[in-house]
Amino acid sequence: MTLTIGKIASLSDVTADTLRYYEREGLLRPAAKSEGGYRLYDRYTVRRVRFIKEAQHCGFTLAEIRQLLALRASDAACCRDVRRVALEKKLQLEAKIKAMLAMSKALDRLIKECTKENRSLDDCPILAALEK
Amino acid sequence: MKVELFYTPGCEKCADGKDALRATALELVPDLVWREVNVLEEIDYAVEVGVLTLPSIAIDGEVAFSSLPTCRQLRRELIRRNGKGA
Repeated sequence: MTLTIGKIASLSDVTADTLRYYEREGLLRPAAKSEGGYRLYDRYTVRRVRFIKEAQHCGFTLAEIRQLLALRASDAACCRDVRRVALEKKLQLEAKIKAMLAMSKALDRLIKECTKENRSLDDCPILAALEK
Repeated sequence: MKVELFYTPGCEKCADGKDALRATALELVPDLVWREVNVLEEIDYAVEVGVLTLPSIAIDGEVAFSSLPTCRQLRRELIRRNGKGA
């Protein structure tokens, strides 16, 4: 059974443009083309698209998703290989959270410094601190 | 000096290279502390050090290699840092 791009899009709740984008990024490949040159997909494509969306939701980049899909299809890979990828993603997310918390604290300090609301912009301590 | 290897259990890459790396490090710096950190058990510590990929090697609490180096690369890095500290 083959499905058109429109059918895949509606079944997996994405747009046809998104599916074409996934294809350009090497995440998806039509099983065939119709006589008129339209893309035709097999029934496993919906599952694959949902997998891509869920992984994106967890913060994986398209390159990382490509890696996960390759692991999923590899006979030589096993669960611990996927766990390593997930663990690396967690480390990267935690590092981002740490950096953002530091930024938030720095902003707290700057906001505290700004005690007078009607000071002129030339005397604004927040702008002055950012210009340092 | 402290060298820490951050790894995940079952990682063949880590298992293959770590004995040779440890021997290289200890041969060069006999009083060196070598520690193997299982990231599944010490993820907070790995985040604190700034580990982003696995396996990684940190020297004195700073990520020095984001993948396993060769013995030669590790040796060169240890010599560089030892020279700095002298």
